[in-house]
Amino acid sequence: MDWQVILRNLEFMVGGLALTAQLAAIALTGGLLWGILLGLGRLSRSPWIYYPATLYVHFFRSQPLILVIFWFYFLVPVITGKPLGTFVSTVIAFVTFEAAYFAEIVRAGVQSVPKGQVAAGYSCGLRYHQVQLYVILPQALRSMLPALTTQAVVIFQDTSLAYVIGLREFLRRVNLVDTREARSIELYCFAAFVYLVLCLLGSRVAHRFERRREVALP
Amino acid sequence: MIEIRNLSLWYRRGHKVVDDVSTVFPNGRTIVICGPSGSGKSSFLRCINGLERFQEGEVLIDGKSLRARETDIHQVRARIGMVFQHFELYPHMTVLDNITLAPRKVLKQSAKDAVDRAMQLLTRVGIPENAAKFPGELSGGQQQRVAIARSLAMEPQAMLFDEPTSALDPEMIKEVLEVMIDLAGRGMTMVVVTHEMGFAREVADEVIFMDHGRFLERKSSTDFFERPDHPRTREFLSRILR
Ligand SMILES: Nc1ncnc2c1ncn2[C@@H]1O[C@H](COP(=O)(O)OP(=O)(O)OP(=O)(O)O)[C@@H](O)[C@H]1O
Ligand SMILES: [Mg+2]
Repeated sequence: MDWQVILRNLEFMVGGLALTAQLAAIALTGGLLWGILLGLGRLSRSPWIYYPATLYVHFFRSQPLILVIFWFYFLVPVITGKPLGTFVSTVIAFVTFEAAYFAEIVRAGVQSVPKGQVAAGYSCGLRYHQVQLYVILPQALRSMLPALTTQAVVIFQDTSLAYVIGLREFLRRVNLVDTREARSIELYCFAAFVYLVLCLLGSRVAHRFERRREVALP
Repeated sequence: MIEIRNLSLWYRRGHKVVDDVSTVFPNGRTIVICGPSGSGKSSFLRCINGLERFQEGEVLIDGKSLRARETDIHQVRARIGMVFQHFELYPHMTVLDNITLAPRKVLKQSAKDAVDRAMQLLTRVGIPENAAKFPGELSGGQQQRVAIARSLAMEPQAMLFDEPTSALDPEMIKEVLEVMIDLAGRGMTMVVVTHEMGFAREVADEVIFMDHGRFLERKSSTDFFERPDHPRTREFLSRILR
Protein backbone atom coordinates (compact mmCIF):
# COMPACT_ATOMS: atom_id res chain seq x y z
CA MET A 1 0.00 0.00 0.00
CA ASP A 2 1.19 3.46 -0.86
CA TRP A 3 -1.27 6.07 0.37
CA GLN A 4 1.20 8.78 -0.56
CA VAL A 5 -0.07 8.47 -4.12
CA ILE A 6 -3.23 10.27 -3.05
CA LEU A 7 -1.37 13.20 -1.55
CA ARG A 8 0.91 13.47 -4.56
CA ASN A 9 -2.02 13.76 -6.93
CA LEU A 10 -4.53 15.37 -4.62
CA GLU A 11 -4.63 18.72 -6.31
CA PHE A 12 -5.15 17.22 -9.75
CA MET A 13 -7.91 14.89 -8.62
CA VAL A 14 -9.77 17.34 -6.42
CA GLY A 15 -9.56 19.81 -9.29
CA GLY A 16 -11.91 17.48 -11.14
CA LEU A 17 -14.48 17.93 -8.38
CA ALA A 18 -15.02 21.50 -9.53
CA LEU A 19 -16.15 20.20 -12.89
CA THR A 20 -18.22 17.50 -11.21
CA ALA A 21 -19.92 20.09 -9.01
CA GLN A 22 -20.55 22.39 -11.95
CA LEU A 23 -22.07 19.60 -13.98
CA ALA A 24 -24.21 18.42 -11.06
CA ALA A 25 -25.40 21.96 -10.31
CA ILE A 26 -26.40 22.69 -13.89
CA ALA A 27 -28.02 19.28 -14.30
CA LEU A 28 -29.95 19.82 -11.08
CA THR A 29 -31.28 23.32 -11.80
CA GLY A 30 -31.74 22.83 -15.54
CA GLY A 31 -33.30 19.40 -15.05
CA LEU A 32 -35.62 20.71 -12.35
CA LEU A 33 -36.81 23.71 -14.38
CA TRP A 34 -37.41 21.63 -17.48
CA GLY A 35 -38.88 18.90 -15.28
CA ILE A 36 -41.39 21.36 -13.77
CA LEU A 37 -42.65 22.22 -17.25
CA LEU A 38 -42.81 18.55 -18.21
CA GLY A 39 -44.47 17.60 -14.93
CA LEU A 40 -47.15 20.25 -15.42
CA GLY A 41 -47.50 19.02 -19.01
CA ARG A 42 -48.18 15.53 -17.65
CA LEU A 43 -51.11 17.02 -15.72
CA SER A 44 -52.43 19.07 -18.61
CA ARG A 45 -55.98 18.59 -19.83
CA SER A 46 -54.92 19.44 -23.37
CA PRO A 47 -53.94 16.33 -25.34
CA TRP A 48 -51.51 18.48 -27.36
CA ILE A 49 -49.50 19.02 -24.21
CA TYR A 50 -50.23 15.86 -22.26
CA TYR A 51 -49.17 13.31 -24.88
CA PRO A 52 -45.85 14.86 -25.96
CA ALA A 53 -44.87 15.36 -22.31
CA THR A 54 -45.86 11.82 -21.40
CA LEU A 55 -44.02 10.36 -24.38
CA TYR A 56 -40.90 12.32 -23.49
CA VAL A 57 -40.92 11.20 -19.87
CA HIS A 58 -41.50 7.53 -20.69
CA PHE A 59 -38.89 7.56 -23.42
CA PHE A 60 -36.06 8.99 -21.36
CA ARG A 61 -36.90 6.92 -18.33
CA SER A 62 -36.51 3.83 -20.50
CA GLN A 63 -33.02 4.82 -21.68
CA PRO A 64 -29.73 4.28 -19.84
CA LEU A 65 -28.07 7.61 -19.11
CA ILE A 66 -24.84 6.49 -20.69
CA LEU A 67 -26.61 6.04 -24.00
CA VAL A 68 -28.10 9.53 -23.80
CA ILE A 69 -24.62 10.90 -23.13
CA PHE A 70 -23.25 9.06 -26.19
CA TRP A 71 -26.21 10.15 -28.22
CA PHE A 72 -25.65 13.84 -27.66
CA TYR A 73 -21.90 13.47 -28.06
CA PHE A 74 -21.88 11.54 -31.32
CA LEU A 75 -25.19 12.20 -33.02
CA VAL A 76 -25.86 15.88 -32.42
CA PRO A 77 -22.71 17.00 -34.30
CA VAL A 78 -23.81 14.84 -37.21
CA ILE A 79 -27.22 16.49 -37.26
CA THR A 80 -26.14 20.07 -36.62
CA GLY A 81 -22.87 19.85 -38.52
CA LYS A 82 -20.67 21.11 -35.71
CA PRO A 83 -19.37 19.47 -32.53
CA LEU A 84 -20.81 20.68 -29.25
CA GLY A 85 -17.78 20.05 -27.08
CA THR A 86 -17.60 17.50 -24.29
CA PHE A 87 -18.90 19.69 -21.50
CA VAL A 88 -21.82 21.22 -23.37
CA SER A 89 -22.97 17.93 -24.80
CA THR A 90 -22.79 16.33 -21.35
CA VAL A 91 -24.79 19.16 -19.81
CA ILE A 92 -27.49 18.86 -22.46
CA ALA A 93 -27.60 15.10 -22.00
CA PHE A 94 -27.97 15.43 -18.24
CA VAL A 95 -30.65 18.11 -18.33
CA THR A 96 -32.60 16.20 -20.97
CA PHE A 97 -32.36 12.95 -19.05
CA GLU A 98 -32.83 14.13 -15.48
CA ALA A 99 -35.83 16.28 -16.43
CA ALA A 100 -37.77 13.09 -17.11
CA TYR A 101 -37.21 11.96 -13.52
CA PHE A 102 -37.90 15.40 -12.07
CA ALA A 103 -41.11 15.54 -14.10
CA GLU A 104 -42.52 12.58 -12.20
CA ILE A 105 -41.45 14.02 -8.87
CA VAL A 106 -43.07 17.35 -9.76
CA ARG A 107 -46.23 15.63 -10.93
CA ALA A 108 -46.61 13.78 -7.64
CA GLY A 109 -45.83 16.97 -5.71
CA VAL A 110 -48.42 19.03 -7.56
CA GLN A 111 -51.01 16.31 -7.08
CA SER A 112 -50.35 16.35 -3.35
CA VAL A 113 -51.60 19.96 -3.12
CA PRO A 114 -55.34 20.03 -2.33
CA LYS A 115 -57.55 20.80 -5.33
CA GLY A 116 -59.22 23.66 -3.48
CA GLN A 117 -56.01 25.66 -3.69
CA VAL A 118 -56.28 25.80 -7.47
CA ALA A 119 -59.91 26.87 -7.21
CA ALA A 120 -58.97 29.55 -4.68
CA GLY A 121 -56.27 30.94 -6.96
CA TYR A 122 -58.50 30.98 -10.01
CA SER A 123 -61.42 32.49 -8.12
CA CYS A 124 -59.25 35.54 -7.35
CA GLY A 125 -58.65 36.03 -11.06
CA LEU A 126 -55.14 34.58 -11.23
CA ARG A 127 -54.14 32.93 -14.47
CA TYR A 128 -52.81 29.41 -14.89
CA HIS A 129 -49.12 30.34 -14.71
CA GLN A 130 -49.74 32.60 -11.70
CA VAL A 131 -51.67 29.90 -9.85
CA GLN A 132 -48.87 27.42 -10.48
CA LEU A 133 -46.04 29.83 -9.73
CA TYR A 134 -47.37 31.49 -6.58
CA VAL A 135 -49.83 28.99 -5.12
CA ILE A 136 -49.22 25.41 -6.22
CA LEU A 137 -45.50 24.98 -6.89
CA PRO A 138 -44.27 26.48 -3.60
CA GLN A 139 -46.46 24.02 -1.73
CA ALA A 140 -45.60 21.16 -4.08
CA LEU A 141 -41.86 21.80 -3.73
CA ARG A 142 -42.20 21.39 0.00
CA SER A 143 -43.58 17.89 -0.28
CA MET A 144 -41.12 17.10 -3.07
CA LEU A 145 -38.05 17.98 -1.03
CA PRO A 146 -37.14 14.46 0.14
CA ALA A 147 -37.47 13.05 -3.39
CA LEU A 148 -35.53 15.98 -4.80
CA THR A 149 -32.70 15.37 -2.35
CA THR A 150 -32.47 11.73 -3.36
CA GLN A 151 -32.44 12.70 -7.02
CA ALA A 152 -29.74 15.31 -6.41
CA VAL A 153 -27.50 12.66 -4.85
CA VAL A 154 -28.15 10.36 -7.80
CA ILE A 155 -27.24 13.14 -10.22
CA PHE A 156 -24.07 13.83 -8.32
CA GLN A 157 -23.01 10.21 -8.66
CA ASP A 158 -24.18 9.99 -12.26
CA THR A 159 -21.85 12.80 -13.30
CA SER A 160 -19.05 10.22 -13.21
CA LEU A 161 -20.59 8.60 -16.30
CA ALA A 162 -19.37 11.56 -18.31
CA TYR A 163 -15.95 9.93 -18.23
CA VAL A 164 -17.03 7.76 -21.18
CA ILE A 165 -16.70 10.71 -23.51
CA GLY A 166 -13.51 11.87 -21.85
CA LEU A 167 -14.79 14.67 -19.66
CA ARG A 168 -12.13 15.14 -17.03
CA GLU A 169 -14.34 15.21 -13.99
CA PHE A 170 -13.30 13.76 -10.67
CA LEU A 171 -13.54 10.02 -11.36
CA ARG A 172 -11.93 10.41 -14.76
CA ARG A 173 -8.96 12.09 -13.14
CA VAL A 174 -8.64 9.39 -10.50
CA ASN A 175 -8.66 6.96 -13.37
CA LEU A 176 -5.90 8.90 -15.17
CA VAL A 177 -3.72 8.91 -12.08
CA ASP A 178 -4.23 5.17 -11.76
CA THR A 179 -3.09 4.62 -15.33
CA ARG A 180 0.10 6.45 -14.52
CA GLU A 181 0.78 5.17 -11.02
CA ALA A 182 -0.92 1.75 -11.02
CA ARG A 183 -2.32 2.15 -7.49
CA SER A 184 -5.92 1.09 -8.08
CA ILE A 185 -6.88 0.02 -4.57
CA GLU A 186 -5.67 3.16 -2.84
CA LEU A 187 -7.06 5.47 -5.51
CA TYR A 188 -10.50 3.91 -5.78
CA CYS A 189 -10.81 3.71 -2.01
CA PHE A 190 -10.09 7.41 -1.98
CA ALA A 191 -12.72 8.04 -4.68
CA ALA A 192 -15.32 6.07 -2.71
CA PHE A 193 -14.45 8.05 0.41
CA VAL A 194 -14.87 11.37 -1.40
CA TYR A 195 -18.30 10.41 -2.79
CA LEU A 196 -19.38 9.20 0.64
CA VAL A 197 -18.35 12.39 2.40
CA LEU A 198 -19.89 14.68 -0.21
CA CYS A 199 -23.18 12.80 -0.33
CA LEU A 200 -23.44 12.73 3.45
CA LEU A 201 -22.74 16.44 3.54
CA GLY A 202 -25.29 17.06 0.83
CA SER A 203 -28.07 15.16 2.53
CA ARG A 204 -27.31 16.84 5.84
CA VAL A 205 -27.65 20.25 4.25
CA ALA A 206 -30.90 19.18 2.59
CA HIS A 207 -32.19 17.83 5.87
CA ARG A 208 -31.38 21.08 7.64
CA PHE A 209 -33.12 23.00 4.89
CA GLU A 210 -36.20 20.80 5.19
CA ARG A 211 -36.38 21.26 8.94
CA ARG A 212 -35.96 25.00 8.70
CA ARG A 213 -38.86 25.19 6.26
CA GLU A 214 -41.03 23.15 8.58
CA VAL A 215 -40.36 25.60 11.36
CA ALA A 216 -41.13 28.57 9.15
CA LEU A 217 -44.35 27.03 7.84
CA PRO A 218 -46.63 25.75 10.58
CA MET B 1 -76.55 41.21 -12.38
CA ILE B 2 -76.03 37.49 -12.81
CA GLU B 3 -78.37 35.73 -15.19
CA ILE B 4 -78.49 32.01 -15.75
CA ARG B 5 -80.25 30.41 -18.68
CA ASN B 6 -80.99 26.70 -18.98
CA LEU B 7 -77.75 25.75 -17.25
CA SER B 8 -76.89 22.04 -17.21
CA LEU B 9 -73.76 20.35 -15.95
CA TRP B 10 -72.80 16.72 -15.65
CA TYR B 11 -69.66 14.81 -14.73
CA ARG B 12 -70.83 11.64 -16.41
CA ARG B 13 -73.52 11.24 -19.03
CA GLY B 14 -77.05 10.58 -17.89
CA HIS B 15 -76.59 12.16 -14.45
CA LYS B 16 -77.14 15.90 -14.54
CA VAL B 17 -75.66 17.48 -11.44
CA VAL B 18 -77.17 20.82 -12.46
CA ASP B 19 -80.32 20.25 -14.47
CA ASP B 20 -81.67 23.01 -16.69
CA VAL B 21 -81.52 25.84 -14.16
CA SER B 22 -82.65 29.33 -15.18
CA THR B 23 -82.55 32.17 -12.71
CA VAL B 24 -81.50 35.75 -12.02
CA PHE B 25 -79.48 37.20 -9.14
CA PRO B 26 -80.18 40.95 -9.09
CA ASN B 27 -77.58 43.42 -7.88
CA GLY B 28 -77.47 44.21 -4.20
CA ARG B 29 -79.46 41.18 -3.09
CA THR B 30 -78.55 38.35 -0.80
CA ILE B 31 -79.82 34.98 -2.02
CA VAL B 32 -79.47 31.80 0.02
CA ILE B 33 -79.41 28.40 -1.65
CA CYS B 34 -80.11 25.38 0.50
CA GLY B 35 -80.77 21.75 -0.20
CA PRO B 36 -79.67 18.25 0.71
CA SER B 37 -76.10 17.04 0.32
CA GLY B 38 -75.23 16.13 -3.26
CA SER B 39 -78.01 18.22 -4.77
CA GLY B 40 -75.50 20.19 -6.85
CA LYS B 41 -75.21 23.44 -4.87
CA SER B 42 -71.41 23.62 -4.99
CA SER B 43 -71.31 22.63 -8.63
CA PHE B 44 -73.85 25.34 -9.46
CA LEU B 45 -71.80 28.01 -7.68
CA ARG B 46 -68.64 26.89 -9.44
CA CYS B 47 -70.35 27.32 -12.80
CA ILE B 48 -71.10 30.96 -12.07
CA ASN B 49 -67.42 31.95 -11.99
CA GLY B 50 -66.32 29.45 -14.59
CA LEU B 51 -64.50 27.10 -12.22
CA GLU B 52 -66.60 24.31 -13.70
CA ARG B 53 -67.09 23.98 -17.42
CA PHE B 54 -70.78 23.36 -18.01
CA GLN B 55 -72.13 21.59 -21.05
CA GLU B 56 -75.38 23.43 -21.73
CA GLY B 57 -76.87 26.86 -21.21
CA GLU B 58 -75.52 30.30 -20.51
CA VAL B 59 -74.20 32.26 -17.58
CA LEU B 60 -74.41 36.01 -18.20
CA ILE B 61 -72.58 38.50 -16.00
CA ASP B 62 -73.94 41.99 -16.71
CA GLY B 63 -75.19 40.65 -20.01
CA LYS B 64 -71.88 39.13 -21.06
CA SER B 65 -71.83 35.38 -21.59
CA LEU B 66 -69.10 33.41 -19.85
CA ARG B 67 -68.82 31.20 -22.87
CA ALA B 68 -68.56 33.94 -25.47
CA ARG B 69 -65.34 33.92 -27.42
CA GLU B 70 -64.52 37.52 -26.49
CA THR B 71 -65.06 36.98 -22.74
CA ASP B 72 -61.89 36.61 -20.71
CA ILE B 73 -62.90 34.25 -17.94
CA HIS B 74 -60.06 35.52 -15.75
CA GLN B 75 -61.44 39.03 -15.79
CA VAL B 76 -64.87 37.72 -14.86
CA ARG B 77 -63.45 35.74 -11.94
CA ALA B 78 -61.52 38.78 -10.75
CA ARG B 79 -64.87 40.55 -10.30
CA ILE B 80 -66.67 37.66 -8.56
CA GLY B 81 -65.35 36.65 -5.17
CA MET B 82 -65.67 33.15 -3.82
CA VAL B 83 -65.46 31.86 -0.26
CA PHE B 84 -64.99 28.15 0.34
CA GLN B 85 -66.07 25.76 3.05
CA HIS B 86 -62.46 24.96 3.94
CA PHE B 87 -61.17 28.55 3.56
CA GLU B 88 -58.44 27.57 1.07
CA LEU B 89 -56.00 30.20 2.27
CA TYR B 90 -52.51 29.74 0.83
CA PRO B 91 -50.74 28.05 3.77
CA HIS B 92 -47.24 29.09 2.71
CA MET B 93 -48.02 32.82 2.75
CA THR B 94 -48.75 35.26 5.54
CA VAL B 95 -52.26 36.60 5.94
CA LEU B 96 -51.15 39.85 4.32
CA ASP B 97 -49.61 38.09 1.32
CA ASN B 98 -52.74 35.96 0.96
CA ILE B 99 -54.80 39.12 0.60
CA THR B 100 -52.42 41.16 -1.55
CA LEU B 101 -51.35 38.46 -4.04
CA ALA B 102 -54.19 38.81 -6.53
CA PRO B 103 -54.54 42.61 -6.28
CA ARG B 104 -50.85 42.94 -7.10
CA LYS B 105 -50.69 40.30 -9.82
CA VAL B 106 -54.09 40.77 -11.42
CA LEU B 107 -55.06 44.38 -10.71
CA LYS B 108 -51.39 45.48 -10.85
CA GLN B 109 -51.72 47.47 -7.64
CA SER B 110 -48.50 48.75 -6.10
CA ALA B 111 -47.32 46.83 -3.05
CA LYS B 112 -48.10 49.82 -0.85
CA ASP B 113 -51.64 50.30 -2.14
CA ALA B 114 -52.34 46.58 -1.84
CA VAL B 115 -51.05 46.46 1.74
CA ASP B 116 -53.00 49.58 2.75
CA ARG B 117 -56.18 48.14 1.34
CA ALA B 118 -55.50 44.74 2.94
CA MET B 119 -55.06 46.36 6.35
CA GLN B 120 -58.34 48.25 5.93
CA LEU B 121 -60.11 45.01 5.12
CA LEU B 122 -58.49 43.13 7.98
CA THR B 123 -59.69 45.89 10.29
CA ARG B 124 -63.15 45.59 8.83
CA VAL B 125 -63.27 41.82 9.48
CA GLY B 126 -61.87 42.46 12.94
CA ILE B 127 -58.38 40.90 12.86
CA PRO B 128 -55.79 43.54 11.88
CA GLU B 129 -53.36 42.16 14.49
CA ASN B 130 -52.98 38.91 12.55
CA ALA B 131 -51.58 40.37 9.33
CA ALA B 132 -48.11 38.86 9.73
CA LYS B 133 -49.25 35.42 10.85
CA PHE B 134 -49.56 32.29 8.75
CA PRO B 135 -53.02 30.77 8.21
CA GLY B 136 -52.05 27.73 10.29
CA GLU B 137 -51.66 29.95 13.34
CA LEU B 138 -55.26 31.21 13.16
CA SER B 139 -58.55 29.73 14.32
CA GLY B 140 -61.03 28.54 11.72
CA GLY B 141 -63.22 31.58 12.17
CA GLN B 142 -60.27 33.90 11.75
CA GLN B 143 -59.14 32.02 8.65
CA GLN B 144 -62.56 32.33 7.07
CA ARG B 145 -62.60 36.06 7.79
CA VAL B 146 -59.21 36.38 6.10
CA ALA B 147 -60.61 34.45 3.14
CA ILE B 148 -63.49 36.92 2.90
CA ALA B 149 -61.02 39.83 3.08
CA ARG B 150 -58.96 38.17 0.35
CA SER B 151 -62.00 38.11 -1.93
CA LEU B 152 -63.01 41.66 -1.03
CA ALA B 153 -59.54 42.94 -1.90
CA MET B 154 -60.42 42.37 -5.55
CA GLU B 155 -63.36 44.80 -5.22
CA PRO B 156 -65.81 42.18 -6.49
CA GLN B 157 -69.25 43.05 -7.82
CA ALA B 158 -70.65 39.84 -6.35
CA MET B 159 -69.63 37.24 -3.80
CA LEU B 160 -70.30 33.52 -3.82
CA PHE B 161 -70.20 31.62 -0.53
CA ASP B 162 -70.07 27.82 -0.47
CA GLU B 163 -71.02 26.69 3.05
CA PRO B 164 -68.74 29.28 4.66
CA THR B 165 -69.54 28.21 8.22
CA SER B 166 -70.04 24.46 8.03
CA ALA B 167 -66.42 23.61 8.83
CA LEU B 168 -66.44 25.87 11.90
CA ASP B 169 -66.99 25.20 15.57
CA PRO B 170 -70.26 26.72 16.79
CA GLU B 171 -68.61 29.56 18.69
CA MET B 172 -66.86 30.75 15.53
CA ILE B 173 -69.87 30.64 13.24
CA LYS B 174 -71.21 33.89 14.65
CA GLU B 175 -68.09 35.94 13.92
CA VAL B 176 -68.13 34.89 10.27
CA LEU B 177 -71.87 35.45 9.91
CA GLU B 178 -71.45 38.95 11.36
CA VAL B 179 -68.97 39.81 8.62
CA MET B 180 -71.41 38.50 6.02
CA ILE B 181 -74.31 40.43 7.52
CA ASP B 182 -72.19 43.58 7.39
CA LEU B 183 -71.44 42.89 3.72
CA ALA B 184 -75.10 42.37 2.90
CA GLY B 185 -75.87 45.64 4.65
CA ARG B 186 -73.39 47.44 2.40
CA GLY B 187 -75.32 46.25 -0.63
CA MET B 188 -73.03 43.48 -1.84
CA THR B 189 -74.61 41.01 -4.25
CA MET B 190 -74.30 37.66 -2.50
CA VAL B 191 -75.18 34.09 -3.38
CA VAL B 192 -74.80 31.98 -0.26
CA VAL B 193 -75.01 28.21 -0.03
CA THR B 194 -75.60 27.51 3.63
CA HIS B 195 -77.50 25.49 6.17
CA GLU B 196 -77.62 28.44 8.57
CA MET B 197 -81.37 28.93 8.45
CA GLY B 198 -81.15 31.76 10.97
CA PHE B 199 -78.99 33.70 8.51
CA ALA B 200 -81.37 32.84 5.66
CA ARG B 201 -84.38 34.07 7.62
CA GLU B 202 -82.80 37.28 8.92
CA VAL B 203 -80.48 38.39 6.14
CA ALA B 204 -81.47 36.80 2.84
CA ASP B 205 -83.84 38.59 0.50
CA GLU B 206 -84.76 35.30 -1.12
CA VAL B 207 -84.20 31.63 -0.45
CA ILE B 208 -83.86 28.89 -3.05
CA PHE B 209 -84.35 25.19 -2.39
CA MET B 210 -82.24 22.98 -4.64
CA ASP B 211 -82.74 19.26 -5.08
CA HIS B 212 -81.36 16.84 -7.68
CA GLY B 213 -79.81 19.66 -9.69
CA ARG B 214 -83.00 21.71 -9.93
CA PHE B 215 -84.33 24.81 -8.23
CA LEU B 216 -87.56 23.43 -6.79
CA GLU B 217 -88.59 26.58 -5.00
CA ARG B 218 -87.62 30.23 -4.78
CA LYS B 219 -89.36 32.62 -2.43
CA SER B 220 -88.82 35.69 -0.32
CA SER B 221 -87.27 34.50 2.91
CA THR B 222 -90.45 35.07 4.93
CA ASP B 223 -92.58 33.11 2.48
CA PHE B 224 -89.98 30.40 2.18
CA PHE B 225 -90.11 29.61 5.88
CA GLU B 226 -93.79 30.45 6.51
CA ARG B 227 -95.40 29.12 3.35
CA PRO B 228 -93.21 26.61 1.51
CA ASP B 229 -95.10 25.07 -1.43
CA HIS B 230 -93.13 22.04 -2.35
CA PRO B 231 -93.42 18.89 -0.20
CA ARG B 232 -89.67 18.31 -0.61
CA THR B 233 -88.98 21.79 0.78
CA ARG B 234 -91.24 21.17 3.76
CA GLU B 235 -89.59 17.83 4.43
CA PHE B 236 -86.13 19.43 4.18
CA LEU B 237 -87.10 22.30 6.47
CA SER B 238 -88.65 20.04 9.06
CA ARG B 239 -85.46 18.01 9.12
CA ILE B 240 -83.09 20.92 9.31
CA LEU B 241 -85.09 23.04 11.76
CA ARG B 242 -85.76 20.00 13.98
N1 LIG C 1 -65.44 16.74 -9.68
C1 LIG C 1 -66.48 15.86 -9.65
N2 LIG C 1 -66.43 14.74 -10.39
C2 LIG C 1 -67.46 13.85 -10.38
N3 LIG C 1 -68.59 14.01 -9.66
C3 LIG C 1 -68.70 15.10 -8.90
C4 LIG C 1 -67.65 16.08 -8.85
N4 LIG C 1 -68.05 17.08 -8.01
C5 LIG C 1 -69.26 16.72 -7.56
N5 LIG C 1 -69.67 15.55 -8.09
C6 LIG C 1 -70.98 14.90 -7.84
O1 LIG C 1 -71.98 15.80 -8.21
C7 LIG C 1 -73.04 15.77 -7.30
C8 LIG C 1 -73.31 17.14 -6.75
O2 LIG C 1 -72.19 17.55 -5.98
P1 LIG C 1 -72.09 18.97 -5.27
O3 LIG C 1 -70.82 19.00 -4.54
O4 LIG C 1 -72.34 20.03 -6.28
O5 LIG C 1 -73.32 18.90 -4.26
P2 LIG C 1 -73.63 19.80 -3.00
O6 LIG C 1 -75.06 20.14 -3.09
O7 LIG C 1 -72.67 20.92 -2.92
O8 LIG C 1 -73.42 18.82 -1.79
P3 LIG C 1 -72.81 19.09 -0.35
O9 LIG C 1 -73.94 19.66 0.49
O10 LIG C 1 -72.41 17.73 0.12
O11 LIG C 1 -71.66 20.03 -0.49
C9 LIG C 1 -72.69 14.75 -6.24
O12 LIG C 1 -73.33 13.54 -6.56
C10 LIG C 1 -71.19 14.60 -6.37
O13 LIG C 1 -70.80 13.29 -6.05
MG1 LIG D 1 -71.13 21.48 -1.57
